[in-house]
Amino acid sequence: MDVEAKRIMALSISKLYSLRTQRGGLRLHRSLLLSMTMRAARDIYHTAQLLRDAEEEQVVPCAPDAATEEPMEITKDSPQTLTPKEVAMKPQEPIDAVEDDKENRCASERHSRKRHCKTAIEPDFLPLKKAKMDTDEEKQHLPGEVLRTNNGNSYRQAESLTAFPANRAIVAY
Amino acid sequence: MWPVTKCNWRFVVSGAGGGGNDVQWCFSQVKGAIDDDVAEADIISTVEFNHSGELLATGDKGGRVVIFQQETENKSQSQFRSEYNVYSTFQSHEPEFDYLKSLEIEEKINKIRWLPQKNAAQFLLSTNDKTIKLWKISERDKRPEGYNLKEEDGRYRDAATITTLRVPVFRPMDLMVEASPRRVFANAHTYHINSISVNSDNETYLSADDLRINLWHLEITDRSFNIVDIKPANMEELTEVITAAEFHPHQCNTFVYSSSKGTIRLCDMRASALCDKHSKLFEEPEDPSNRSFFSEIISSISDVKFSHNGRYMMTRDYLSVKIWDLNMENRPVETYQVHEYLRSKLCSLYENDCIFDKFECCWNGNDSVVMTGSYNNFFRMLDRSQRRDVTLEASRESCKPRQVLKPRRVCAGGKRKKDEISVDSLDFNKKILHTAWHPQENIIAVATTNNLYIFQEKVN
Repeated sequence: MDVEAKRIMALSISKLYSLRTQRGGLRLHRSLLLSMTMRAARDIYHTAQLLRDAEEEQVVPCAPDAATEEPMEITKDSPQTLTPKEVAMKPQEPIDAVEDDKENRCASERHSRKRHCKTAIEPDFLPLKKAKMDTDEEKQHLPGEVLRTNNGNSYRQAESLTAFPANRAIVAY
Repeated sequence: MWPVTKCNWRFVVSGAGGGGNDVQWCFSQVKGAIDDDVAEADIISTVEFNHSGELLATGDKGGRVVIFQQETENKSQSQFRSEYNVYSTFQSHEPEFDYLKSLEIEEKINKIRWLPQKNAAQFLLSTNDKTIKLWKISERDKRPEGYNLKEEDGRYRDAATITTLRVPVFRPMDLMVEASPRRVFANAHTYHINSISVNSDNETYLSADDLRINLWHLEITDRSFNIVDIKPANMEELTEVITAAEFHPHQCNTFVYSSSKGTIRLCDMRASALCDKHSKLFEEPEDPSNRSFFSEIISSISDVKFSHNGRYMMTRDYLSVKIWDLNMENRPVETYQVHEYLRSKLCSLYENDCIFDKFECCWNGNDSVVMTGSYNNFFRMLDRSQRRDVTLEASRESCKPRQVLKPRRVCAGGKRKKDEISVDSLDFNKKILHTAWHPQENIIAVATTNNLYIFQEKVN
């Protein structure tokens, strides 16, 4: 289920980006629907991850392994450089994980995933939302927001997928 | 003998007929290019009969309006069906560029609405994403001839050669239909206009975009009243947009607007100047068993239409048509599935963007049958009185003279019967988004991507 969710998230993001170059300006209705779908998918994905983490906590935790942390780092680092296709293929890691017997998965990998989830609120391949003036406000809005910040890995600091302020959006040609 | 390409049928003009499933529909005419390579500008974006049904207007993506007129000469001979022929063609909107926002404004005609006829001329409103225009369509069949100072071709005569005086007289000429823009209603919408609706008072009309609805007077172009504004103070909190709006056919103070969340709000303009607070809210609770990633999208209402009698309204969402009684807000009185077999395909339809298609719907003259489009050039006739429905197809293969349209069936799964088409064979590029029903007769106009089909009732 979370694989599907991740795929839909990636699909939604690519559609949101392509909306910006469409003739006739940003379509508010479609942007809204895409964002809502992406949020629904994200919620499912998160819930699935949290459930997985909850299961992992019941197993005896192991020491972290530097070598196995690498795959997760790649996922964390530059998600925006991935094409949507790559993003869709990315879930191969979690796919393998899911398909494997959970109890026999490498404990260190689990440990690093668990740590990763604690620091990031969002799936890591979402670009950073447009920086707001008041960061306190931003934190308060977290539950209601469509998009949230990642942990600062994005180079697209100024970009925003929040397409709603249509009259502020500038379409790049 | 009539040539094969023309389709003249033995046809008795019925009154506001049932159009139900005991009615057989047959092909009448098709307008538009035959080749499969569709020019984007030719894509039909709106279809609308005028109030008498004599005129049929289409708008396209290239900003053009084409008006067809029903030939009246044969009406006295009730056996022959009258055809629709091109009456006028004009360029309504041109592409524009908003330099401030660095945005191109498409010339695509989103909606056309006719004004009731008051004199010899016809008037219609046409709109693109930002600007509404009032067009006057008038006929000229006489011209003055016999000027003293000018030749017939317009060149001035040498005054010295004029020896006699004559009075110019009007002489008949070939009919010329002129379209002229009488009003331009611009700069009132920040977001994209999705609807226009003429009020029953024949003086005002509304225009709706994603977040606002404005009320205009037909004579006044430099200002409009904002009557609905759902823009939140913080755009981050936006949860729904306006998708369609329409005035009540008889009550000039009442209008409805639908939202992307599947709700319809009925507003009374007498209650307050700004109708943000609705008088009635029509909403059906969602069926939890149908919940999916795409629930939000498919519940978005793409069209809302009052019935002619003003007692009901119809809404179209992605998979269904719902009829609402204006006196009952908590659920529709009737629900019809248009293409339920697509529910299991929503993910693919999301991928190819078809899930965002905005289908329209329409009532027949006496509100007993409703019609809406689907994919594979199928359209659906839903008979309310007989509780039956039929699927028909607009296809070049069914264009033979006297050809009755055969009902089509889609096989959702399992063993496909003969004459059925399986869901996976449907062509999702062939979609019927725009349909219109003659206000009095059983004549329908169905727009495929770039062709306009006209079907009429067969009378045995």
